Amino acid sequence: MRVPPGACLLVVGPSGSGKSTLGLAIAGLVPREIRSSMSGSLAVDGSETRGREPADLAARVGIVFQDPGSQLVMERVEDEVAFGLENRAWPPATMRERVPEAIAEAGLSGLERRRSNRLSGGQQQRLALAGVLAPRPGCLVLDEPSANLDPDGAAALFDRLRSLRDTRAATLVLIEHHVDDAWPLADLVLALDRDGSVIDVGTPDAVLARSGERMAVAGAWLPGPGSSGEPMRTARADPTRAEAVSPAVVAETRDLGFRYERGAPVLTDVDLTVGAGERLALVGANGSGKSTLGRLLLGLLRPDHGIVRLGGDDPARLPAAALARRAGLVFQDPESGFLTDRVADEVMLGLSDVERAAAPALMERLALPLEVFGHRSPYRLSGGEARRLSLACTLVRSPGLLVLDEPTFGQDRLGYASLVRILEEHVDRGAAVIAATHDRRFVADVATRVLTVVSGRVAR
Amino acid sequence: MIAARDLAQAQLDSTLGRTSPVLKLVIAMAWLVGLATTGAWGPPVVLAVVAVAAALTIGRVPPRDLARAVAPLWLAALGLAFFNTAFGLANADPAATTITTVGPWRVTQEAIQAGVGLGLRVVAIGAIGVLFALTTDSTRLVDALVQQARISERFAYGALAAYGAIPRFGSNLADLRAARRIRGLRGSWHPRILVGLLVLAIRHGDRMALAMDARAFGSGPRSRYRDVPWRWLDLVVAIGAAVTLGLALAAGR
Repeated sequence: MRVPPGACLLVVGPSGSGKSTLGLAIAGLVPREIRSSMSGSLAVDGSETRGREPADLAARVGIVFQDPGSQLVMERVEDEVAFGLENRAWPPATMRERVPEAIAEAGLSGLERRRSNRLSGGQQQRLALAGVLAPRPGCLVLDEPSANLDPDGAAALFDRLRSLRDTRAATLVLIEHHVDDAWPLADLVLALDRDGSVIDVGTPDAVLARSGERMAVAGAWLPGPGSSGEPMRTARADPTRAEAVSPAVVAETRDLGFRYERGAPVLTDVDLTVGAGERLALVGANGSGKSTLGRLLLGLLRPDHGIVRLGGDDPARLPAAALARRAGLVFQDPESGFLTDRVADEVMLGLSDVERAAAPALMERLALPLEVFGHRSPYRLSGGEARRLSLACTLVRSPGLLVLDEPTFGQDRLGYASLVRILEEHVDRGAAVIAATHDRRFVADVATRVLTVVSGRVAR
Repeated sequence: MIAARDLAQAQLDSTLGRTSPVLKLVIAMAWLVGLATTGAWGPPVVLAVVAVAAALTIGRVPPRDLARAVAPLWLAALGLAFFNTAFGLANADPAATTITTVGPWRVTQEAIQAGVGLGLRVVAIGAIGVLFALTTDSTRLVDALVQQARISERFAYGALAAYGAIPRFGSNLADLRAARRIRGLRGSWHPRILVGLLVLAIRHGDRMALAMDARAFGSGPRSRYRDVPWRWLDLVVAIGAAVTLGLALAAGR
């Protein structure tokens, strides 16, 4: 396939289909920086990537990764934007003109001396983009740039991408699961299958018409309502089911407050009751305190004041074994909660014999069959796979309360569907689910109640 | 002491904030070597007083921040002085001058001399370290090391990126301990947690290296966005520091 200069190529496909690898290859980082083998031919600006110096390619191709926290190099905004220019030995006078310009283009004017770790996730991602765009690359690769952002941050990022596309200053290669935002930007769409083979390439309309069905079967997200196959809305529309009997209280907080050492309060006066069978969505901007609330409910943090009860007891005082039977947590960054070197060990960790017996079936349902994935390293999974493994590790014990931190990040359509179905069954067995999420679709499909957290307070 | 990260702009713009970080590093080393050559009380007292005064005046360090930074080392110094006085070897030496005896305990002048001298030196070390840490911006330190001390750029900026990742350790540790507990495993200090920390640190390092390479780092000669030239100010500070060290050592005679 060929991408003409200034065009925007959207790459879609299920998780693990090699979208990121393609992006890394275009940026010249595969196979050179990451040891791997590459066959076939890939040319940028008409010359083969393999024969070119990495520096030469880096000067032509910029790449923005998913996690802003692990691609910002310098401490301050201005230095971050200058970093790529320094590496290309731009003359200082030119840098001094270009840096403020690039910062202004990203909408970050006035924050030049700010430490980048003090910026919001959305600002950090626009900063990463500004740093990559400062040397005016001819081609820009964006690997799920909006995945970790809240809706406002994602909207601002897509505004920026839209203006980039409209000026046609750079060829864009956009890898995205948020297809409703990304699809309108595309001039060309490349659809990949589970095994990394190409389903279709062409204009967005043509690809959708020709191969929409095959893409849906493969598990890729498609734009627009109804085009993603079967409706995923579940039984939650029946209000009598949740409200008919007053449910047993699974967890509650009274007057809860929390702050990190020497920091500003993260949560203030939170009163919350969660009953069996409830599916509660916590929504709100990044940093509003959703994740902290989840951890307090599980006793993984101790409140500064107020009380937390999990099944009637203070979860911070429960023995670990008792806590694990009552509650589970799926981490926002699943890797940070892995404790073993093999997927099979990870899911079996600390289980009783009965629970062990249930594990293979659960893994199968989460599209992580142990025969295929069991011996792999948990750290070598794709983003969506790692998240499903983290889910399996807690679901396998059928805890009464399940706290999920952004469970749908990086999930393709099939992963999402199996997540929704499994949560549904779990709740039907009398458990409660609390999910901190930015995903409006997930809220609509799953939640029976939505709480908005604004600066550490629960708004009703 | 080293973890003092967020310096206010006032500190960075202060006289010491504008002084070459490389020079400040050299001064700190020279003062520490000077301290090591003497067991007397005078030199550490002079250096500690000058360091604290400099931090508060030409460093514009807020007194609260200064107190918080020196507190741990100064408390340790107090303990060190006490125990070395109370249990000093000199107390068992029959030739030593007895100051007081409490029951079976004997405290000699020689033990006090050595114990308090040790404590004072730790006080001075703390003050000097805090003076450096609370007036030195890490980016500027690295720029100066590269431009003035000719340290490898790859090493220096890599180290800066690693330094920026230190706070991640704390959150990774909290995550791993939470992960063990929520999975029903006891022992929040299990050795496996260290393995997990290491894995996460290496993976973060890999990602950072990839991001740096993707931005053409290490591809050839770099230009400089921030210049750290030698200034007359540096000469003045250097002379002041040398004079201070001379006076301090003289106070020990």
